[in-house]
Amino acid sequence: MNRTTTDPVDGVDRRSVLAAGAAGLSLSLSGCMDNVRSVVTGTTDDQLSLSIATVSQDDNRQSPQIARHIEGNLEAAGIDATIDMRSQTEFLEMVLIEQDYDMFVGLHPGDFDPDYLFEALHSTYADEPGWQNPYAYSTGRNFVDDLLEDQRRADDEQERQEILTDLLEEFVSEKPFEPICRPHEFRIGRGDRFDGWHDGHFATQRGYLGLEPTDSNDDNELEALITDSRPTQNINPLMAENRERETIIDLVYDSLGTVIVEDDEDGEDGVDTDDHVVEYRVEPWLAESWEWIDDEDGTNTAHVTLREDVTFHTLEEDETGEPLTAEDVEFTYQLLENTTLGQGNTSPAPRYQGHVSAVDVDGIEIENEYELRIPFHTSTMVGERAFTVPILPKHIWLEDELDERIGSSDDLSAPKGEWGLVTSSAIEPVGSGPYQFADQSDQNSLTLERFDDHFSIGSDEEDLLEPIVEELTFVADTGSASSVERIASGGSDFTGTMLEAYAIDDVPDDDSLETMPASSWTFYHLGFNAGRVDGPPFYDPQFRSAICRLVDKEFIAEEFFFGYADPIAVPVTDEWVPEAFEWDGVDPETPFAGSDGEVDVNGAISAFESIDSIDYRYDEDEEILRRN
Amino acid sequence: MLQEVLVGMVQIVGIMLAISIALFISREALTTTLAQLRSRLQITGPVLVVLGIALLINRLMRQSEEDGIFPMTQVIRRLEGDLIYVFQDIETTRLTMYFSFVYVYGYAYILIFPAIAYFVLSNTRMFRRLLTAYTLNYLIGLSVYLLVGAYGPRQFMYPEEMGVVLYDFGPEYAHVTTEVNRNTNVFPSLHTSLAATVGIFAFYTRSEYPYWFVVALILSISVIISTMYLGIHWAIDVVAGLALAAFCVWASDQLVGRWTLSDIVDRTREALDR
Repeated sequence: MNRTTTDPVDGVDRRSVLAAGAAGLSLSLSGCMDNVRSVVTGTTDDQLSLSIATVSQDDNRQSPQIARHIEGNLEAAGIDATIDMRSQTEFLEMVLIEQDYDMFVGLHPGDFDPDYLFEALHSTYADEPGWQNPYAYSTGRNFVDDLLEDQRRADDEQERQEILTDLLEEFVSEKPFEPICRPHEFRIGRGDRFDGWHDGHFATQRGYLGLEPTDSNDDNELEALITDSRPTQNINPLMAENRERETIIDLVYDSLGTVIVEDDEDGEDGVDTDDHVVEYRVEPWLAESWEWIDDEDGTNTAHVTLREDVTFHTLEEDETGEPLTAEDVEFTYQLLENTTLGQGNTSPAPRYQGHVSAVDVDGIEIENEYELRIPFHTSTMVGERAFTVPILPKHIWLEDELDERIGSSDDLSAPKGEWGLVTSSAIEPVGSGPYQFADQSDQNSLTLERFDDHFSIGSDEEDLLEPIVEELTFVADTGSASSVERIASGGSDFTGTMLEAYAIDDVPDDDSLETMPASSWTFYHLGFNAGRVDGPPFYDPQFRSAICRLVDKEFIAEEFFFGYADPIAVPVTDEWVPEAFEWDGVDPETPFAGSDGEVDVNGAISAFESIDSIDYRYDEDEEILRRN
Repeated sequence: MLQEVLVGMVQIVGIMLAISIALFISREALTTTLAQLRSRLQITGPVLVVLGIALLINRLMRQSEEDGIFPMTQVIRRLEGDLIYVFQDIETTRLTMYFSFVYVYGYAYILIFPAIAYFVLSNTRMFRRLLTAYTLNYLIGLSVYLLVGAYGPRQFMYPEEMGVVLYDFGPEYAHVTTEVNRNTNVFPSLHTSLAATVGIFAFYTRSEYPYWFVVALILSISVIISTMYLGIHWAIDVVAGLALAAFCVWASDQLVGRWTLSDIVDRTREALDR
């Protein structure tokens, strides 16, 4: 056992020592820095200046390129734009936890179900950490809030689609954020080492289940390359800024239901093409079944029956794991709703807040060890998304972790989403999933081994894919180009992270390689901080729209993604896109003010000049946007 | 992966060193050194220990995920504008091959060879000065990295501007460079300062090692250009690196020989006797 137990929250980290040491220096320098900056940038106080936060090209090849495209076009329109480049961790902290930015360019995790927009945009989440409304977006009229609530209560799919259409109409005129394009998911694996690559989507746990070694493979260990090293340091399922995809969490923690991504037979392994349909369903997994009961007051309750004889992992050998029961399920929803369980400030789990908000947690009733009733505030369609949260073992999270931390009141009074339980890397990684934690080496690799007692093993059920590979090792790699080379040379088996667009054309044409294009629900977007009153006028939807007219999505998809991305006007998966907002070469609401990526200055200026309310006007002499 | 790359690196740099030793260092010097190995190690021991500590600090710092306290990328970018892109204009595959080789292997070689060459000189002062200058470069460079968080030009480049930069050309190199550096450690350029340090010392010792002087001059200039050609550093980082090198060489002269371990021992003994 070689688990890293250094916990940056509990210990004194380098940063705080440094910060203390540098505090004096920074205080004395800060005034001087501002001077340096204004001399260097030539900024006067009057010109509108905006900063665009993003990550470096080493972390993501496209984000800074999109940011530069926008920076250049903002400058052409007379705005002083700068790029604020940060490491992945600092970037997410800045956007998701501190909300300390003007604009940012980044990959949104998205979701197959449009209900994720509820947490992304509802005004009650405007000051919550995580992907809960990081844009601090709220409207005076609350029209968007109402539609977000209505769509999740609509039981009829047709009715929901109509409400969503209204919501998306509101979205494109309000532009709380601007979706730019959806990158194609593309992975490669060694077909000469494993079979069964096409059974499940690799952004979900199902991609890794059902994989089996070929005849020529005698070690039965799969090495997957990931270009984000964070899972090699922390696999706490609650941490907000830890990762964009849940795949590794899904392997270690079972959930009541599992997401199945399926496309019709003509589809080319799940790639979105015009003539085929991708379907997303939540099917029972840890739950043996669930049954929906219509309540008299129009709400829904799920009667969930758990599988019997499911046990949690144990990290010690020769011990049998604790059984997973209805109590663990109830506890999980209580903990996700408030990770302090009422002991301190309310601090919901940042990753799953939207999911849990669909559940009436206080109304959960345990019928017996394996049966419980879960009432919902929403339709059954939206409710099933709440079945995908990881089920956590009560005996560890309550007794070992929470009780210990409650002793330290400092810890409990930390801001939302930042207290020890949510950020710690020292939580015992115990779930009931098909793979259990085996080993972790800091910044290098994470090894999971098959959980031989998992319920799926030896099951006859058709939809239940089982773990066959004995050991999964996720190895941090430096980038997609390196990953392609390593797989092609046989040095590794699979690219766990989707390949970045620039590396796709470098994949060699080789019979022993399996290529796996897949449907995608993540997207690149431009976020605006609408909550800053003293900053640039992002509170104004007209101002946001004018900025959106400086983004050439078609050009971005073509130039920066080499065509391996689809420009989008609205941030929902294809089946939910209303006809009016299907991509047709230009953005239907805010077409690009220019061509081939180059902004037409007059067009851009007129977009800003037509804004009624903002405090900035064009200075004709200097062609800059200047405060009135 | 890292291991394979490192093994390859040790082999290539090892061959370069072996050839250089055969060409530049006389047989007598080597045999004398072997005979006096013990006493030379005693004299140079403290300097080696201090350098070891500096390298350890470098390693620990690399593992941190935090950027420097002041994000200065934008200031640097504004100051120098598009200067760095001139190198992208002259980019050819051959040049990229050359500069990638120089950046990774040539750099390791020019840092190690002078240490060997000066160790075999009968007077160990040059050896101690060189290692002191290395240590100062690291310590000062690392302190600045703690304060200034800046990203290099390649983080901003468009695909059409990039041509073939280091990590696309040889993705395996990234395994080595991320082992010794983080991508916010840009200002000043330690590749530049250490290469320039070696170049200056080669000038001082040109009478002992005339041919090495020529090799060091060509290689250190190539390393410095490679940092900009490969889009890793801004020109400002390079200028700061040159200034750092000049300072460290000067400071090494001031420091070395001022305090020796035997002096300190003697003085302590005297104090105790009194």
